Amino acid sequence: MSGWELFQVWLVALVTLALFSFMYRDNPVYRVAEHIFAGLTAGYQVGLIWDTIIVQQLWNPMLGGEWWKFVPGVLGVLMFSRLSGKWSWVSRTSLAFVMGTTAGIFLISELHGRVLPQMQDTMLPLDGGDGFGATLLSVIVVLGVLSTLIYFYFSKEHIGTLGAAAKLGIWFIMISFGAHFGYTVMGRVSLLIGRVHFLIEDWIGSFL
Amino acid sequence: MSFWQKMDQLDRRWIYLTVAAAVILPFLLPTPLPIVITPEARSLFDAVEALPDGCNVMVVYDYYPTTIAECEPIAIAALHHMFRKNCKVITLSNIPYGGPSMAERITRMMGDQYGKTYGVDFVNLGYKYGYVAVLSGMGQSIESIFPTDNSGTPLAQLPLMDSVKNYSDISFIFEIADNATADYWVSIVNAQYGVPIGCGGTAVMAPKFYAYVASGQFVGLLGGMRGAAEYEKLIEIEADATVGMQSQSLVHLVIIGLVVLGNVGYWVGRSQSKRRAA
Repeated sequence: MSGWELFQVWLVALVTLALFSFMYRDNPVYRVAEHIFAGLTAGYQVGLIWDTIIVQQLWNPMLGGEWWKFVPGVLGVLMFSRLSGKWSWVSRTSLAFVMGTTAGIFLISELHGRVLPQMQDTMLPLDGGDGFGATLLSVIVVLGVLSTLIYFYFSKEHIGTLGAAAKLGIWFIMISFGAHFGYTVMGRVSLLIGRVHFLIEDWIGSFL
Repeated sequence: MSFWQKMDQLDRRWIYLTVAAAVILPFLLPTPLPIVITPEARSLFDAVEALPDGCNVMVVYDYYPTTIAECEPIAIAALHHMFRKNCKVITLSNIPYGGPSMAERITRMMGDQYGKTYGVDFVNLGYKYGYVAVLSGMGQSIESIFPTDNSGTPLAQLPLMDSVKNYSDISFIFEIADNATADYWVSIVNAQYGVPIGCGGTAVMAPKFYAYVASGQFVGLLGGMRGAAEYEKLIEIEADATVGMQSQSLVHLVIIGLVVLGNVGYWVGRSQSKRRAA
C-alpha cells in the first residue's frame, strides 16, 4: 500500500469512527465530521452542475454551432426571477415548460412501461396450470390488489362489505410494511457490516 | 426492581454494543453458513448464462457510495460471470456522486483480473445529467448522449463502440440500483426497446423490485448483500458478501431476540400494572 493510499485509509477510518461516536453521545468530533460531509456534498454538487449541465450541455454545444440551445438557457435564467417578489411570475414560463414536457414524457412511458404490465400481471388464470399452490398464490395476489385498492377508496364510508374488504386491505398493507421493514433492517445491517469490514480488513490490517 | 423493569430502562447503548459485537465476532471467528438460492437469483444467473459468448452487455452503476457494502459485491459477482463468458461490457452511471468512478474502479479491477483490454473488451461511458433523456436518447444513438467515454476519449477511437450504436446492439442490461432509476430502465428501456434487464438492488429497494420480476420486466433479482452472496455461490466464488452474511445472520438473531424480549416485557409490564390497579 502506497503512502497516499495509507493516508486515504486512515482518513476514511477516522471519519467513520467520528460518525460512529454519535452512538455514544453527541459530541464536537461527530459534528465536525458531519459538517465536512455537508460542505463537501454542497461544493461537489455546484461543481458538478456547472460542468455537466452549463459547460457540457449548454456552453460547448452553443460554441459548436447549436445556437438554438440559448432557448433552454434563457428558460433556466428565468427561474432566478423567483428571487424577486415583483418578477417571480416570470419563472412560471419555465415551470410550465418543465411540467408540460415531463407530463408528456411520463404519461406514455409510465402507462406503457409500468401501469399496464403490472395490471396485466394481476390478471392471473385461477386454474393456475401449476397446481393448487399456483392457484392459491393467484387468488392471494388478486385479493391483495383489490382489497388494498378498496382501502384507499374514500368516497364511501368503510362499512358493511366495503368495510370488510378495506380491513382485509389493511392486513395486506401491514404484511407489506413488515416485509419492507425486514428488508430495511437487513439493508442497514449490511451497511454496518461494510464499514466494520473496512475497519477490520483495511484499517486495522494496515498496521498489523 | 424486577428484571423486566430493568430491561425497560436499559441504556440503548448496550444494544448498540451487542449489535456491534454480533457484527465483529464472525470476522474474528468465521463460521460458514449455508446460503439458499432463491428463484429470482437463479433466473438472473440462468439469463446471463444463456447469453452467447462475446455478446455486448451493459452494466449500470446506479448506486451511491453509501450503499457500496450491498451493491459492490453484486457488481463484482456479475462482472465475474460476464467476463468469464467473454462478454463485452459497457458501463455507465446515472448517479453523479461517485457512480462513474466506482464503475471505472470496479470494472478495471475485474478487467485486469481476466486479462481484458480497455476499449476492446470494456468501456466506461461515465455519467451524463438527466437520466430520462439519457435512457431515451441511447435508444437512438449512444454516441449522441456520450460523445466521449469517462476519460474524455471520443467513442470513435474505442474499437468496442464500433459495433455498439444503440440498444439493438445490447443483449442484456444489468442494472445495479439503490434508488428509483431502476423504474426508468423498466419503463423506458425494457418496455420501449425490449432489452432484457436483470437487477441487483439494495435490500431496501428489493420488495418493490419483486413486482417487476413477477411481471417479467426483470429477468431476475439480487436483493442486497444476501442476493450478492447467492450470486457468489452460483458462480462458485467466496467473496465479501458470503463473508458478510455470517455477521448478517448473527445480527438478525440478535434483533429477533430483542424484538421478542421487548414484546414479552411489554405484556408482562402491562399485566403487572393491571394487577396493581386492581
